[in-house]
Amino acid sequence: MIDQKVVEYIAKLAKVEINEQEKDFLSSQLSKIISYIDKLKEVDTKKVKPMRGLYTGKELMRKDQVKISSAREDILKNAPDFLDDYFKIPKVIK
Amino acid sequence: MFDTVIGLEVHVQLNTKSKIFCSCSTQFESPPNTNICPVCCGYPGVLPVFNQEALRLGLRVGIALNCKINSSIYFERKNYFYPDLPKDYQISQYKSPLGYQGSLKIDAGKKIGIERIHLEEDAGKLIHKGNYSLVDFNRTGIPLLEIVSLPQLTSPKEAFDYLQSLKLILQYIGVSSCDMEKGYLRCDANISLKKKDANIFGTKVELKNMNSFKGVKAALEYEIKRQTKQLKDKKIIIQETRLWDSDKLKTIAMRSKEEAHDYRYFPEPDLPDFAVPAELIKQERESLEELPKARVERFIKQYQLSKEESSLLVENKQLADFFEKVLDFFNEPKKVYKLLFGPFLEQVKLLESGFSGIKISAKDFAKVVKYFNQKKINNRGVKKILAIAVPEKKDIDKIIKAEGLIQLSDQKGLEEIAEKILENNPKAIKEYKQGKTKAIQFLLGQVMKETRGRANPQLVRKIFERRLKE
Amino acid sequence: MDKKLIKSSACEIAKAIKNRETTSSEVYSFFQKRITKLNPSLNIFIDIYKNSSSLGGLSALAGVPIGIKDNISIKGKKITCASSILASHKAVYDATVIEKIKSSGLSLMGTTNMDEFAFGSSTENSCYGPAKNPWDKTRVVGGSSGGSAAAVAARLVPFALGSDTGGSIRQPASFCGVVGLKPTYGRVSRYGLVAFGSSLDQIGPITTNIEDCAHLLNVISGFDSSDSTSAKLEPGDFTESLGKDIANLKIGIPKEYFDQGLDPEVKKKLDQAIDFFKKKKVKFKEISLPHTQYAVPTYYIISSSEASSNLQRFDGIRYGKRVEADNLLKTYQKSRHQGLGNEAKRRIFLGTYSLSSGYYDAYYLKALKVRKLIKNDFDQAFQELDAIITPTSPSPAFKIGQKTEDPLSMYLSDIYTISSNLAGVPAISLPCGFTKNNLPLGMQLITKEFDEATLMKLGSAFQQGTDFHKKIPELGNV
Repeated sequence: MIDQKVVEYIAKLAKVEINEQEKDFLSSQLSKIISYIDKLKEVDTKKVKPMRGLYTGKELMRKDQVKISSAREDILKNAPDFLDDYFKIPKVIK
Repeated sequence: MFDTVIGLEVHVQLNTKSKIFCSCSTQFESPPNTNICPVCCGYPGVLPVFNQEALRLGLRVGIALNCKINSSIYFERKNYFYPDLPKDYQISQYKSPLGYQGSLKIDAGKKIGIERIHLEEDAGKLIHKGNYSLVDFNRTGIPLLEIVSLPQLTSPKEAFDYLQSLKLILQYIGVSSCDMEKGYLRCDANISLKKKDANIFGTKVELKNMNSFKGVKAALEYEIKRQTKQLKDKKIIIQETRLWDSDKLKTIAMRSKEEAHDYRYFPEPDLPDFAVPAELIKQERESLEELPKARVERFIKQYQLSKEESSLLVENKQLADFFEKVLDFFNEPKKVYKLLFGPFLEQVKLLESGFSGIKISAKDFAKVVKYFNQKKINNRGVKKILAIAVPEKKDIDKIIKAEGLIQLSDQKGLEEIAEKILENNPKAIKEYKQGKTKAIQFLLGQVMKETRGRANPQLVRKIFERRLKE
Repeated sequence: MDKKLIKSSACEIAKAIKNRETTSSEVYSFFQKRITKLNPSLNIFIDIYKNSSSLGGLSALAGVPIGIKDNISIKGKKITCASSILASHKAVYDATVIEKIKSSGLSLMGTTNMDEFAFGSSTENSCYGPAKNPWDKTRVVGGSSGGSAAAVAARLVPFALGSDTGGSIRQPASFCGVVGLKPTYGRVSRYGLVAFGSSLDQIGPITTNIEDCAHLLNVISGFDSSDSTSAKLEPGDFTESLGKDIANLKIGIPKEYFDQGLDPEVKKKLDQAIDFFKKKKVKFKEISLPHTQYAVPTYYIISSSEASSNLQRFDGIRYGKRVEADNLLKTYQKSRHQGLGNEAKRRIFLGTYSLSSGYYDAYYLKALKVRKLIKNDFDQAFQELDAIITPTSPSPAFKIGQKTEDPLSMYLSDIYTISSNLAGVPAISLPCGFTKNNLPLGMQLITKEFDEATLMKLGSAFQQGTDFHKKIPELGNV
């Protein structure tokens, strides 16, 4: 059961604003999905190692070499707001 | 009445050329947002690729701090939104740190446990203006090593010693310059007080925003006073993060973040597991330079220096390395040490870039010490040579010649000059004979003036003493 | 020529260009015209390019136009993932597959519609509205690579690229009557594919026939030093397997895939396909993949958890839509509230929930363990089998709007495709017939890791003996 309190908590973590209607809606839909997912509880996994990823080959590492990206200008151009080559953002309040 | 319990969390930037997960430069003080690319700016679709040098440097620290090394490591995502964190998660390590259960010996000989060391990516820089902030992603993705101590430090002094020892080691093994002003090294502290000899720990307070080792010490000292007062007044200690204000010299509670810390760590699916090969560990262990404490011991034994002299040398790795190189050319440790810590360092201090700016080679410096030892040049000559040859590459012999620095030790010549000075200074002779032995100093000065500083002062003094007794 | 172009495979078009029967620019403008004409009623393309960025490389496919799902990065072009948070965003770099496509001389035709960030099975979750099925415009195209599948079905392009996290290439391929391959995880570089479920995502070809599929896989596959999960393998030639004998191959029929909920018409076509292979001396065996029923819940936990983290970067700070507010927190919240659609929010919430403190072990960690069991099922099956055959989807294309109110029923339409993403194995959907209402149906073949060659063998044998893949939807005179 994902009640409204839980939905509010998740919304805070995920930084998504939600209104009352969405809270209702998400709480009921997520509860339904989770109760379906709870089916997993019946699987005995006591002796199973979690499978972190699929990659089984040799690990890939980079040599410590500098390459200058040609994308810098375009990256700055994409910024919603900038000032003197800085990304400009609304004030941070903690 | 209370015991202090301190644990330190140190973040050190590893000095790789490129970032930990992309090929951007790690150059300090580049213009804003120049060392950036789609990967470190968290563009849609990008993927990280691990820099093997970050692993190697991290491993060196692990070995130097006597850590157990995990034979296979993996990264995890630490999820939180912050504008200096482009992906809004930090690639870090959680369940499989590079090293764990290490230790570091501090000055008093005490061993402080290291809980873990792990690799992660640095965040960008925020500049707060009035009603807006600016973000620079140059620093984003520079490799960081987090070094977490066990809460085994019992005083601010110990914390300070721990940081000094740690910094020295990190510099010695060549993984970081540890410059705190440049942010290459950062330190947070946890501190709690508990009743003397009690088993239960008190409430932990986290301290941040200290910009120097002295700041860490001062913040801890302040915090002990504050917490002691709280406890004496029967008030509770709140578990919180406090920021050190280096102007007001006090810690201030950070306004608690609205949301709880729920970082939702999970294994980074974009990166495979990385083996830490036994061969690499062996290779790094063998190549690891001598650690500072061992070097001090060796200097005492090998060069018959005092503990204080040895420590002074070892504290500055470049100087100690230079010292040993000079000895290759002129093996008189005490004599080399004397000129190194005297006239040589005076000149180094004048250089803008400090030791890295010196131009004199170890071989040339050895020559200077040798000449001084052979009395070919005197103290003044040494100073003069170094003033020229430390900041600029110059031939020592040519300087001596050009400046006429060869010491006059020729008995007959010096006697002639002394005679002349005596003739011209009957007053001084009179004074001397009346018992004012200081007058000889004046006469000596006159000889030096006459010879433009080249006269061997010991010889001249002897001549005067003999002549005036006649 | 124009009529011929519609009926031609990509390989045939390339051959015609090579033989100077036509030119690449003639071909390009033919398809461009066709898109301009048909796209308004089908809503398949998001961005239609004015000219190809072909570099004129030399490959078996040089000069042939291709459609790209709008979640693959093409430098200088818009990349929206069908989300309003990226509606005006321009990519600043080429995905590895795009570099390969450019250097092979293919022409980029434009970007195709999809479910927002690939969340969905119908291409209805698009900020540009649903794409329509060329076989029946009241029906969905499947998803999330619905635009790419429909574009190929309607012959708006000879072939296209899609991405597949839980069936997003194969299910729309089956709904649209085309060939869709999800390669082995690690076969094709993910660099430049906007991540949904990083441990599941693969880019793959969507084509009208198996030969084109093999050729396009040749172009896009291979080790990439920008993708740490890409496999270090020698490049192979998948066309070598085309037309090879399939006698004595052993195929498993997993009973769990033919149980409840399977549309009788789909079952009938599958039986016919099995009979076809039997005649070619392929051996069949009924098998069990016992953890099949747990694939959907496992998938939704893992893919949503990864997605919740992957989508955090859409925060209005560095690129994309920013809803101005007086402080940072509100900017985040409003930008994401307005910029992300309902399904994206559902997945983000589900994923955030299953990773959050107190639920991690019960959901995320549990799912990683069940994933291992699902993989074990396949590993075991492939010890004695060359391939597994299943339907691609339990039903043909459903009506637009039919499942939008019930996310769970939508999730279940991926029930047959999800397991191969969890296990990382390659799987292909091939047209295997039509319903009475003339809706295409697909069958799925699955092999062990890195054995796409067997899929090519089986697929080409099937297509040599059938002509389901040659049927083209009637779209009026263009």
